[in-house]
Amino acid sequence: MGARRPTPYGEAVAERLATDLAHAGVAVVSGLAVGVDAAAHEGALIGEGCTIAVLGTGVDVVYPAANTDLAARIVAGGGALVSQFPDGTGPKRDHFPRRNWTMAALADLVVVVEASEGSGALITAEAGLAQGQAVMAVPGSVFSPLSVGCHQLLRDGAGLVQNARDVLGELNGLTAVLDDPLTPPDRLAVEGEAPRGRDGLLRHLSDAYPVEPGDLARRLGLAFPDVVARLTRLELEGKARRMGAGYLRVRGRGMT
Amino acid sequence: MLPRLPGVVARVLSCLLRGLEGRLVEIQVDISSGPVGFALVGLASGSVREAKERVRSAIHNSGLPFPSQRKLTVNLAPAELRKDGSGLDLAIGVGISLAALGLPSPSSTAFLGELALDGAVRHVDGVLVAARGLIRHGVGALFVPEADAAEAALAGGLRVYPCPSLSTAMAHLTGDTLLDPYSGRAPAPAAADTNTEYDLAEVQGQDSARRALEVAASGGHNLLMYGPPGAGKTMLARTLPGLLPPLELQEALELAQIRSVLGDLTAGRPLDWVRPFRAPHHSVSLAGLIGGGSGLATPGEISRAHHGVLFLDELAEFRAATLQALRQPMEQGHIVITRRGGSVVYPARFQLVAATNPCPCGWEGDSQRSCRCTPASVEAYQRTLSGPLLDRIDLQVVVARTPMDVLGREAVGESSAAVRARVVAARQLQIDRQGTLNAGMRAPQLRRWAPLDATALSALRRWAGQRGLSARGFHRAWRVARTIAGLDTGGSVREHHVMEALGYRLVERAA
Repeated sequence: MGARRPTPYGEAVAERLATDLAHAGVAVVSGLAVGVDAAAHEGALIGEGCTIAVLGTGVDVVYPAANTDLAARIVAGGGALVSQFPDGTGPKRDHFPRRNWTMAALADLVVVVEASEGSGALITAEAGLAQGQAVMAVPGSVFSPLSVGCHQLLRDGAGLVQNARDVLGELNGLTAVLDDPLTPPDRLAVEGEAPRGRDGLLRHLSDAYPVEPGDLARRLGLAFPDVVARLTRLELEGKARRMGAGYLRVRGRGMT
Repeated sequence: MLPRLPGVVARVLSCLLRGLEGRLVEIQVDISSGPVGFALVGLASGSVREAKERVRSAIHNSGLPFPSQRKLTVNLAPAELRKDGSGLDLAIGVGISLAALGLPSPSSTAFLGELALDGAVRHVDGVLVAARGLIRHGVGALFVPEADAAEAALAGGLRVYPCPSLSTAMAHLTGDTLLDPYSGRAPAPAAADTNTEYDLAEVQGQDSARRALEVAASGGHNLLMYGPPGAGKTMLARTLPGLLPPLELQEALELAQIRSVLGDLTAGRPLDWVRPFRAPHHSVSLAGLIGGGSGLATPGEISRAHHGVLFLDELAEFRAATLQALRQPMEQGHIVITRRGGSVVYPARFQLVAATNPCPCGWEGDSQRSCRCTPASVEAYQRTLSGPLLDRIDLQVVVARTPMDVLGREAVGESSAAVRARVVAARQLQIDRQGTLNAGMRAPQLRRWAPLDATALSALRRWAGQRGLSARGFHRAWRVARTIAGLDTGGSVREHHVMEALGYRLVERAA
């Protein structure tokens, strides 16, 4: 689990971890929210594994509606939508923390990908701890507010996740550590919202993980030339910069 | 019939090449009383002096009389022009035979071909170039080796006689047995004349490179691809000829002349409509790349790539002097080479596609493999890339490796044919508007045909100020923006076109 508005780094990590774990036969449980949840479900589907979405609504109500197609593919892929709420229940604010508790209960182990301080993902992690499950976290950029929650968990003794084998080792009680870097997905399967306004694209850039314009175009449903023009404009304004074939977000002030 | 000069018995025309220029040569044969002998005069090189022996045997073996008991003088005029090669053999043989038989010389008729000892007429290089030169000198009929007849006929407006042997040429001139003039049909391009061996549909991902190739093909821009080994840079470059329209007749003729000089034309199908793709290795010599050799220079790779694509892989591995030599042809579309034998001009209007690794080991900047070069060696490597040549490349894109798990699973991309349709339309628009492709526009033409509105101009100026863009770089980005606007709406150049164009530049980023 993790942020609903993660950085591209968070989405990439969630998707790749889920893919690798699904390949290894692990069922991926998440909450069908946008962001890290959706990336985890998509990743599990790419890995042709079983993935379970725990809903905060009735199983016949998909919230948010943007994930309707994803929900259908989860079921078609042999996974399940589960809910503790009766059919027809719409989204209610106080249902989601209860759903998080259920999600933690269904899992053997909780992995947090990106979480800001005091976010819902941290609540789920606490629920997992309270129920005796292992909690692990993926580190992030120290520049990013979305890393704070994960880094707090790590300081408090959560397991460090660098790759799927770290998670498998914890599940199987192994202690050997492999420090291989995680392979980023070639392109993210999760779809983003179309950017609004002048800086709209900036939200889809990371300061840690270069995003290629072609991937952005596909995910956001924009034309490739349009994305290149928008990125160059951000570059001109000192808000983005090139790295290899992709673009990074530039934090704070200053130019390349 | 030519007027008879006192003492001269026969005068026969032929042709010699000076680069892509055909120079008229007159062979004058004089048979007189005096010391018995065979003198060949007129600045003949070794290969032409050997013609004496070939011609003597060919005449004997053709059953023609040879004036072996007289004083025979053959003069090759003009005397100041150095004579090379074996293409004059047939003309010398005909001249001597006419003189020996006391027959008049044919007017405005020229002869090209090497003689074998049995009198057969053999292939010579450069027949097309010679034929075009002869037409300019008012020659109306040309005898050529059979294999070269189709090539000669490309020149148009000339009666071409395919001539198997010296004896058949003489039989025609005496009126005994007439040869039939060559009657091949005028060539025209067919749909199959596009290079489709490498199709963009086979390329997985690589959005930046695909787009850059389309823009490059549309505006005639040069392209640099920058990326690690195995990223597919060569495959991408090879798709470019297939995105371009087939050659126009004039272009095909120019290219055929270069191939003619090199003896590279395919017999029976001299005119090729497929745009050339030349990929010289980085160890290529200066002479091999731009043209050269002793005596008179022969065309190099840049002229073989005329109206096509010159691909330089591993750009940083080429010798600096070799790359420097590309600057003149890139600006002017031709190359002037001076050698001992004189100066020649060869056309070299090629589209340059270059590829390079980012560092000696190739992995600098890769997301998954670490570079093992020292910072100093990376810097030295990138310095060889920078400078005047890179400044002349309009489009520069990073090509990343396609991950293994994408290969073989991705849906195929857009085909070359679909891209070519847009390219052809965009090129037509440019030709109709300004008479040249966008890459060939200079500043005054840009101001006239690609005016920028206030927003677009201020964005370009801001970038130039920020990144230290050179004046040349400024105009290059402007030209690319014109091409992008042409592909987009065909209308005026807007700010987002300029922005996209600046997205395909690497020079200022490195600074």
